[in-house]
Amino acid sequence: MTESITLQQSTFKRNGHINYFLRCLRALPTAAQGSDSNRMTAAFFCLSGLDLLGALDEKTTEEQRNGWIDWIWSLQATTGGFRGSTFMTTYNDKTSPAHLPSTYTALLTLSILRAPLDRLNISGLTTFLQSCQAKDGSFSPVPGDDIYPNEGFQSDVRMVYIASVISDIIGDFSGINVQAPKQFIESCKTWEGGYASRPGIIEAQGGTTYCSLATLSIFDKHESASSQIDTSVENGQKDTLRWLISRQIGGFQGRPGKLQDVCYSFWCGGAISILGHSGLINRDEDRSFLLSAQFPLGGFGKEPGDYPDPFHSYLALAALSLTHSSDDTQGLGLKALDVLWNVSQHTSDWLKNEMARIRR
Amino acid sequence: MSVATSSYIPLAERNLWHDIKPIPQDDGPNPVVPIMYSEEYRDAMDYFRAVAAAEERSERALELTETIIRLNPAHYTVWQYRMATLLALNKDLEEELQLMNEFAIQNLKSYQVWHHRLLLLTHISPKDPSFEIEYIHQSLLPDPKNYHTWAYLHWLYSHFYTLDRISNQQWQNELKWCEEMLRVDGRNNSAWGWRWYLRVARPGTDLEKDGLKEELSYALKAIHLTPHNVSVWNYLRGLLRHFKLPLSPLLPAILPYTTRPSAKIPGNPQDLDFPLPSSPLADDTPLPVSLALEYLADTLLEQGLSAEAGEVFSELSTQYDRMRAGYWEYKRRECIEE
Repeated sequence: MTESITLQQSTFKRNGHINYFLRCLRALPTAAQGSDSNRMTAAFFCLSGLDLLGALDEKTTEEQRNGWIDWIWSLQATTGGFRGSTFMTTYNDKTSPAHLPSTYTALLTLSILRAPLDRLNISGLTTFLQSCQAKDGSFSPVPGDDIYPNEGFQSDVRMVYIASVISDIIGDFSGINVQAPKQFIESCKTWEGGYASRPGIIEAQGGTTYCSLATLSIFDKHESASSQIDTSVENGQKDTLRWLISRQIGGFQGRPGKLQDVCYSFWCGGAISILGHSGLINRDEDRSFLLSAQFPLGGFGKEPGDYPDPFHSYLALAALSLTHSSDDTQGLGLKALDVLWNVSQHTSDWLKNEMARIRR
Repeated sequence: MSVATSSYIPLAERNLWHDIKPIPQDDGPNPVVPIMYSEEYRDAMDYFRAVAAAEERSERALELTETIIRLNPAHYTVWQYRMATLLALNKDLEEELQLMNEFAIQNLKSYQVWHHRLLLLTHISPKDPSFEIEYIHQSLLPDPKNYHTWAYLHWLYSHFYTLDRISNQQWQNELKWCEEMLRVDGRNNSAWGWRWYLRVARPGTDLEKDGLKEELSYALKAIHLTPHNVSVWNYLRGLLRHFKLPLSPLLPAILPYTTRPSAKIPGNPQDLDFPLPSSPLADDTPLPVSLALEYLADTLLEQGLSAEAGEVFSELSTQYDRMRAGYWEYKRRECIEE
């Protein structure tokens, strides 16, 4: 790494970030081959980044946006849900099923692009969620079968979070059994106060703690809407707040004893926000770490000096939005974030209206 | 888009594949985030699409899936196809496990690699899983905090325990191994978590009946070894919370780290049979230890001394842990409101 790259970056490179996301939308390098089956999610990071920067309408043409919308719709599986990319190029749903994380990011990306959602197969979506749910309440990223069961290593709180957000978006929780995943998450809580990826696993982590709290919050909202009981997720989470706050060492680390990493400014910062305490984040220290991880040509790496990738670039902006959008004294010019769905508040408001429209 | 590599022999030029008509990827007129594939990856995927469309279960299909997952270890569809093919061909799954041993080293962070391994072990279902436990222990040596590896170790023990294939001796060996991990690096948070599983959480253990006091002492001794080690403080607090024990009885053992004279601490028991720190403390320990001050403040709260607790939180906020100034100030305000 050359010296110019490791130089401390202290100003927010707004134009650099816009150009970085535009470049990624046009092409990703060979090094991104490992993301081939998750292109939908890479697209979400880029477009949601442009959305938070308020640059989407100005920097992309309507023709481009319509083209991207067509690409996303082409990946809606006939049985409901979305595939992660065109890598199978087949209409055989058996060898190319919908993919849970890609379904979540497809819904959000269509909304960022303000695509009318009349073509959304809602009943297929709930069936798809059902086909991914495991006996223990968790979800598999793809519908399981005898050979590849829904239970297992990948069926963790990330997938429970995604299934709960999808249900929240479509305003229909009939695709998931809510009680089982709630129990699943509660048994992920560790001795430290944070949440692990699966029940009984012995170490909490920033990302899985965010997913757990966001899910509990969505379930609480859903249940209190139907039963009028206010069961705020904040109750009984003092040890969780303590654990999250302790992860700040400038930026945030994902676990005690690990290095700070850009993405945990969002995972931990987002989890703290869900608990209603974003004001307790040391935002000056966090911002100065995040800005130091900017790449000179735009985008953010995992840590200062690293090459950028869409994942860290988007989560850095999401983290900055959490602590800087309401009183923008630093001139970052970021839109406010819906911390539960992880998309701009503008887009989540639009999506709620759009779902109400097509459900009429 | 694809990037040519000169030495690569396309599958079309290999006899094995002469009867297959590859299916190119159709990314449509408006692809989003297209990837500049390597020639090898694009070629293998063109043939994989054809093989999968025909649902071909064959040796060459296995070979193809191996090529692809080496280039893209997160390719969930290809992993799924590989597992179905292995089972359809009745392949020797222990051989597959050998391949995965080599594969895991380069791809420790891939969920799919570990999921595949979990399915293999479920199918092989060994009478004694100790060879696999030994392999996982070895693979933690170069990367002792790898989350997936620890999660998999947890799965191994809970899965084979329910099949009644973990002996008492094995549990004891595991605890010894974990203690060795902590001896090598007392700040390895994963190893503390593993100790929690072995001593507190695992099925068939009952710490309350069998050594809770020893466990508290173990944690205190570790604090005396590394007073700023957040993992062991969390472990100690976790034990107290889990077993609903008061903080106060342990206070004398940590009080030296607060640099407060013990006489000034109300309700401080004078005699204690928990391990105490060396006196005087090692002079390379920066004092006060903020984790000890937090413990003191929480102890004062437990004793109903909220004004005194508030003072300690205030010191943390203004002097000793400025990174979390906002949080300590919030804790201080809570004391006043109570």
